[in-house]
Amino acid sequence: MTASFEPSPRPQAAAPAVAAHHLIKHFGDLEVLKGVSLEVEEGTVTSIIGSSGSGKSTLLRCMNLLERPDRGELAIADEAIRFTRNPQGDIVGLDRRQLQRLRAKVTMVFQQFNLWPHLSVLGNVIEAPMRVKGLSRRRATAIGEHYLERVGMADRRDAYPAFLSGGQQQRVAIARALAMEPRLLLFDEPTSALDPERVNEVLGVIRDLADEGRTMLLVTHEMHFAREVSDQLVYLDQGRIAASGSSQDVFDDPRCRRFVAPAA
Amino acid sequence: MDFSWLSDPFYQEYLWEGFVNTLWLLAVSAVGGLILAVGVALARLRGPRPLAWLALAFTTVIRGTPLLVQLFFFYYGVGRLLEGVPGIRESAFWPLLRDPFFFGALTFILSVGAYSGEVIRGAMQSVPRGELEAGRAFGLSGVQVLTRLWLPRAIQLCLPTLTGEMILLLKSVPLVSTIALMDLLQAANIIRDETFLVYEPLLLIAGIYLATTIVLTLGLRLVELNFPGMRPTRRRWLPIR
Ligand SMILES: Nc1ncnc2c1ncn2[C@@H]1O[C@H](COP(=O)(O)OP(=O)(O)O)[C@@H](O)[C@H]1O
Ligand SMILES: [Mg+2]
Repeated sequence: MTASFEPSPRPQAAAPAVAAHHLIKHFGDLEVLKGVSLEVEEGTVTSIIGSSGSGKSTLLRCMNLLERPDRGELAIADEAIRFTRNPQGDIVGLDRRQLQRLRAKVTMVFQQFNLWPHLSVLGNVIEAPMRVKGLSRRRATAIGEHYLERVGMADRRDAYPAFLSGGQQQRVAIARALAMEPRLLLFDEPTSALDPERVNEVLGVIRDLADEGRTMLLVTHEMHFAREVSDQLVYLDQGRIAASGSSQDVFDDPRCRRFVAPAA
Repeated sequence: MDFSWLSDPFYQEYLWEGFVNTLWLLAVSAVGGLILAVGVALARLRGPRPLAWLALAFTTVIRGTPLLVQLFFFYYGVGRLLEGVPGIRESAFWPLLRDPFFFGALTFILSVGAYSGEVIRGAMQSVPRGELEAGRAFGLSGVQVLTRLWLPRAIQLCLPTLTGEMILLLKSVPLVSTIALMDLLQAANIIRDETFLVYEPLLLIAGIYLATTIVLTLGLRLVELNFPGMRPTRRRWLPIR
């Protein structure tokens, strides 16, 4: 009935999937990001850890410009973001067209899933491919079914979000993010809103994506998981990167030890 | 009880015309009113300052004055005022401006626009921000977020309230008998004047209103139950256990 779908091979690009340089972000008087620089190489997984309120979400949300940084440089998927700046160098605006194009390449999985309750599971997954990428319903459905299969939710394609468990909703949200075939996947504490017994089904999906070589940037409190899947680990403390490098390096770093294993 | 007048074809004609006019007025006012309501809600939430203020003033005035006064105001006030405009009698609008149906519909559309506009505004505000943010995060434009996510979600949230408003609207329709529009009440009035029977015609139209309300309620309930994504707990036909 529907055309079969083969995922397109990921582009082999030399440039990092994300390169952020000295990002600064304020909320009112509160300086939430105090000059954060971060690169995510194509095909690698980076995890951001840190205590609550340290600016992890804000940093992640800068990567698809849900938050607009006040200063700094940002390049995403080989494209430098064209910020409008005032004479002092503060960022005051964005190029809307570029923004839309970019958001099709960087998709996000939220802590609260944020599925659209009035759309079916499949409807959630094909909405952006159809409206943003302009795919036909047929093509979007083929892609959507492929990724629903991938997260083990193909049999619930016609269900509505209210009828699914948290773990199932989050897996649908992951399929929704994958269906855009993004260059970079962002995860903001994808398991924090789940019942403990549902956490593993979602972590399992994310682990498979990591094994498959997808480029991902992940905020998580699951330390073991972060340690296992990450090529790069970033410890964010009060808006600054306090430690970064391989999982081993960061976990061994004395500044991070206190946070990772407070009892030790 | 004397219902012998029911067999009179003239009275049958009146009642039928009254019934049809009632339904027409309800349909036109509901559709026009809900479109206006969406506009009012949007103006309040996202409109530029002056437009937001205008919408607030409109809502306050319409909700703060009796419907019957508004009806008279438009029909006798505005209607008569317009008669004095030079050249208007020759214009294409003239038949419309003499038609009580036009003024009835206008009044009800404004009323639904104000009341339902507030309902829709409240519902739009209670749509979780994260859902709209997800829309933006996936690259949907502002208009797409509005038409594909925000409005459908808001309507899902306030649908039971909106259907309640429509049922209230049905029972406001008899007010138009005061501006000589042939609705059900006007038909009953004519029958009373000619047969000197007071209760029987009233009883009959009360029965017709009740039957219409029940059919309308069930029909709208069907719409509610079939609205995409409705929660399982709300899937109950009658509001009793
Ligand atoms: N939209 C906002 N407006 C004002 N303050 C905010 C907003 N978003 C986040 N903050 C503040 O910024 C700080 C960092 O928030 P966040 O990035 O969410 O931290 P984390 O995800 O690490 O817990 C917190 O103090 C939070 O209260
Ligand atoms: Mg957070």
